[in-house]
Amino acid sequence: MKYLFIDTCSSNLIISTIIDNKIDYFFNDKNNNDTSSKVMKVIKEAVPDINTVDKIFVVNGPGSFTGIRVGVTIAKTIGFCLNIPIIKLSELELLATTKTNTKYNASLIDARRGYVYAGIYDQDLNCYLEDQHILLSDINYPQDCTIIENYDNIDLLKIIKKHEFDEPINPHNLKPNYLKRTEAEEKLDDKKD
Amino acid sequence: MTILAIESSCDETSMSIIKDGSIDLGTVILSQIDIHKLYGGVVPEIASRSHVESITIVLEEVLTKASITMEEIDAIAVTYGPGLIGSLLVGLLAAKTLSYIYNKPLIPVHHIAGHIYANNLVKRLEFPLIALVISGGHTELVYMENDYSFEKIGGTLDDAVGECYDKVARVLNIPYPGGPSIDKMAKLGKDTYKLPLPLNDSSYDFSFSGIKSAVINLIHNELQKGNTIRKEDLACSFQNKVVEILTKKTMKALKEYNVKNLIVAGGVAANSGIRSSLEQECNKNNINLTIPPILYCTDNAAMIGAAGYYAYQKGIVSDINLNAKANCELGENI
Repeated sequence: MKYLFIDTCSSNLIISTIIDNKIDYFFNDKNNNDTSSKVMKVIKEAVPDINTVDKIFVVNGPGSFTGIRVGVTIAKTIGFCLNIPIIKLSELELLATTKTNTKYNASLIDARRGYVYAGIYDQDLNCYLEDQHILLSDINYPQDCTIIENYDNIDLLKIIKKHEFDEPINPHNLKPNYLKRTEAEEKLDDKKD
Repeated sequence: MTILAIESSCDETSMSIIKDGSIDLGTVILSQIDIHKLYGGVVPEIASRSHVESITIVLEEVLTKASITMEEIDAIAVTYGPGLIGSLLVGLLAAKTLSYIYNKPLIPVHHIAGHIYANNLVKRLEFPLIALVISGGHTELVYMENDYSFEKIGGTLDDAVGECYDKVARVLNIPYPGGPSIDKMAKLGKDTYKLPLPLNDSSYDFSFSGIKSAVINLIHNELQKGNTIRKEDLACSFQNKVVEILTKKTMKALKEYNVKNLIVAGGVAANSGIRSSLEQECNKNNINLTIPPILYCTDNAAMIGAAGYYAYQKGIVSDINLNAKANCELGENI
């Protein structure tokens, strides 16, 4: 089985192919700031013939709004056209694959103004605190927990193994998981209140 | 040659299948106008979010509508700019993905070139011509010697004409989008309010922020004096000045460039005041005037497919690294 993995949610761009549970191709640009122009070239290099791919794993957020849309648009276009199953993954769960000596990993992504996107997972990637947009000071960490804020030691195979047989999502229904409404929507609601 | 075209530069997600730059085999336009109405104008982040949710649905619909498969498509054309960057990127990424998986040429199309070529879907363009592009985001006069050669001879220095209509509508408490409503009200009113003729000089440039401020000041002064605003009369006075300057500079361009063909494009080309003024002047001066039907005036992918065909004839294709550009000039190298 050949899988294509796409994560464009942050400046840490990852494109990978996995064949029979082994990483076959791995592109990781840690300081990428040009995802939209670069990403197709990398995917093309990773998979010269897209028809050889059996499944697409795409990270659909949270993270940079524009970044998330890049990966989601690519995945749903391929999925729709070629009928390739799509599995969506959480960026916070991906961070939580980092191996630590604690029972829990708390993944944090800066969401500005004191807020973060946060999710807490155990070492088997079972969710303890659901992914959410939350004030950093409001998080209640469980005991025996490590905070993960970078991608240095993530384990792609671990998250793929966990979700390998998830129900694929209909490409039309694949949406970014921003975890946050737009400012305009928030202001409109404030007005109503 | 059959082109699949994609347009997502603002708040319409649109795809179209165009044959040989002139035959529309099927067009789907998903407008987000009802969403943005709530905010009194287009909210860029909301527009981008809507595009990504509907992009494959629009693709499926257009293929069904045109009874065609992706394998039968010869090339993909896409708007790369100008426009809202987040919105552009969704269409662009979809186009690049399609180009990659089906191994088809990718044709980058400038949004304004698209508006101009909307006319080619009605009637083959005749050259040389002058194009007046008027919309919510653009006000430009373009000279074309032949196919896909553009010389911008004038443009707005500040607000686009449609943007000015929307802003004036807002101060008159008319719901977004204001253009069509002001046009309707103008027909019921009289030209009684004194407003300046905007940027009445010898250039081909336009400026609409001054007349917008003049309307705001006028309302303010009238209200301070305790007078009520006759909205229909104000709409009429405002529209007359806008129409006058657009007509004046367009006719001057036709004369000075010695051109007998005028095409009008963009959403504001639906404005009845502008249409009738240009029709009258063109009749008087023996100018060939073409204005596309309203469907092709507002943003749509059919026009991108038409322009894409002629771009391709000129050898304009892009590699997979094509990026979106929020700002770009017509005719510049991509």
